[in-house]
Amino acid sequence: MAEYSRMAKGSFTATGTTQVVPLPFVPDYVELWNYSIIKTAAANKVARAWWDNKLVDGSNNPTMVEIYNNSSAVVFDTIQTNGISTYSAGLSFQFGPQLSIVSITQSATAPLVTTTNVHNLAVGDVVIFMGLYQSATTGMPQMSGIPFAVKTVPSTTTFTIGWNNNGSNYTALTGSPSGAYVKKVLNPFLYEPGVSDIAFITTGTTTTIVTSAPHCLYEGQEVAFRIPSAWGTIELNSLPNFALPGSPVYGYVQSVTDSLTVVVNINSSSYTAFNPNIPFANTGIAPAQMVAVGDLNTGGVAFSGGALYPSPFFPTPSTAAQSKNSINGAAVKGAFVNNTSQGFIIGSGAAAADVSAAVTLIANTNIVYWHAYLHDYAAP
Amino acid sequence: MSITTTGNLGPMILQSLAPAMLYVPTPTMNYITVCDKVSMPANGGTTCRFMRPRALQPPTVQLGNSGIDPPAQVPQRDIIDAQMAFFGTGCIINEQVILQDQEGVLAWVSERLAVAMRQAEDLILRDYIVSAASDINAGGGTNGDNPTNLAPSDFSLVATTLDTNNAYKFMSGIEGMDRFGTGPVRSAYFMLTSTELQSDLDNLGGNNTPGPFLSQWNYPTNASALPSEFGSVYNIRILTSSEAPVARASSANNGDVYYNTVLGKQAITHINQDGFSMNLIYRDPYYSGMLAQNATLAVKFAQAQALTQDTAIRNLLSTRFSSLAP
Repeated sequence: MAEYSRMAKGSFTATGTTQVVPLPFVPDYVELWNYSIIKTAAANKVARAWWDNKLVDGSNNPTMVEIYNNSSAVVFDTIQTNGISTYSAGLSFQFGPQLSIVSITQSATAPLVTTTNVHNLAVGDVVIFMGLYQSATTGMPQMSGIPFAVKTVPSTTTFTIGWNNNGSNYTALTGSPSGAYVKKVLNPFLYEPGVSDIAFITTGTTTTIVTSAPHCLYEGQEVAFRIPSAWGTIELNSLPNFALPGSPVYGYVQSVTDSLTVVVNINSSSYTAFNPNIPFANTGIAPAQMVAVGDLNTGGVAFSGGALYPSPFFPTPSTAAQSKNSINGAAVKGAFVNNTSQGFIIGSGAAAADVSAAVTLIANTNIVYWHAYLHDYAAP
Repeated sequence: MSITTTGNLGPMILQSLAPAMLYVPTPTMNYITVCDKVSMPANGGTTCRFMRPRALQPPTVQLGNSGIDPPAQVPQRDIIDAQMAFFGTGCIINEQVILQDQEGVLAWVSERLAVAMRQAEDLILRDYIVSAASDINAGGGTNGDNPTNLAPSDFSLVATTLDTNNAYKFMSGIEGMDRFGTGPVRSAYFMLTSTELQSDLDNLGGNNTPGPFLSQWNYPTNASALPSEFGSVYNIRILTSSEAPVARASSANNGDVYYNTVLGKQAITHINQDGFSMNLIYRDPYYSGMLAQNATLAVKFAQAQALTQDTAIRNLLSTRFSSLAP
């Protein structure tokens, strides 16, 4: 039976221990070969792996692997969780499990979050927080509900985010406060460009905006600002316009520094400084936001090898963590784009039997070949 | 006495199919209702481009008597692009199903595919609005969360924001009439919200009173009310649906966050592509393998969407005051 089966193959060079592979279907069977390890044997590395959606072991859907163990002998093993899995990113508001928080430090640039259990987060993942209270009147609930990109992952139970919570209205979280949680946003970039929450603003002859989660903007993007008065820099707001009443004031993205930072061509030298030290008990305060409203581009993403007419990629720039091209075709840079997709994910889970080191499916610079299938007929 | 009962002479055929199918629970699809509609022509590329001129500076400085013309202005415009995307789904139905099933499988599967397509259209718009429109957190409620539950002041704030941004309202007002229990309705923007907030709206004034909330049933006339219209508050008429976006357990206090989209005319535009607004495709089993065993039924459509007036839309985020029944 092959009339309605789906088959796909491909390859990539890994940039870390995880990889998302979009496909025109959700596979029921995936196999991959880590050519780098097959060519040059290395201890505690995976050479080959395969996964079947019908394979159930307890409550897990494990990935089977053939590895070089600690003695560089070829053995079989499994990755019980966070190995190969499928995804269908078509609806928003899908979240990972709630993870209890042990502590969050105060920092002017990168608060450190410690979770009770292994968080399985990677750089570039987007998370939101809830219940950040140390007591009824202290804590950092100002950060609740804001999407944050994971900046660094120092350990399996810690990660950092980009925010200034060093102000007097914040209190560090310690001792596993009750009800403090973080959870991963599973499909954060379904439609781009969009609205972003602002973490930092540097005023000057141009204005540098740092967002809490990837902005997904291109050079030439036209943007508007929505900054409530508590955050300070209200002069950036598109309205009111005192020079031409009723006409919104927009800026253009002059350059994209990284996935969280853009430079906008608005001279903000005389504007009020940005103030993330908003009051603790200010319920109802909205985040400071930057909104994509248009663009002035005329062409699509430039050819740089690979597809001759590349589709847009998100997050921007292409070097950003987890950046990948949309599955649709070429579009004007900065156009509103549907970025929904489906396929399979290679996770960072480690082998279950060989625990002498974290034996993951792939690692940075590995050359990996894969096949994916959706079968017409399966029994049972 | 020998009585023949169904115990010793049972019916040969035990079941009879009721004459009509049961209804399929389906959410109200509000998002497409409030969109501007644009059709992109065939052979028009991948991207629909909108142009909005910017206002010119009104000449408020008098010319004087110098005879010198004032400096010329440079007209400017904003450009908004949206890339067309294609969607589809379908079913492969073996001929034995069609042959042997005693009711019209193809008919009801066709209907379900059409509804799935329309729902996809609406869900895409819903999620796009969540991703693209800026937010205002409700702050007038009393549940102590951030955002709070909806209060009259939140409706007033968001309507004031859109009015200040010179957004266009959808509906003109409804004049009051001499009918018991009714009241006039202001000219209004639309709010798209969740059916889960209806009990909060009924209690908007607190103490089980609606406050400024006017139920659709209390309009002077229902002539202009939409089927999903629940009522109005100040300058906002409220459409509810069970598919409105909710971020579960995501507020400061771990409550559900509702994305109540308030918008004026032309805030969102739905774009279809010529000939691809909806295709229902039936392929006879003849076109399947050598034994022609399987028919296919499928739908396909093209859609793009854009925020065409970013100043005329806000997501008013709120939590809930009343608890939900299990």
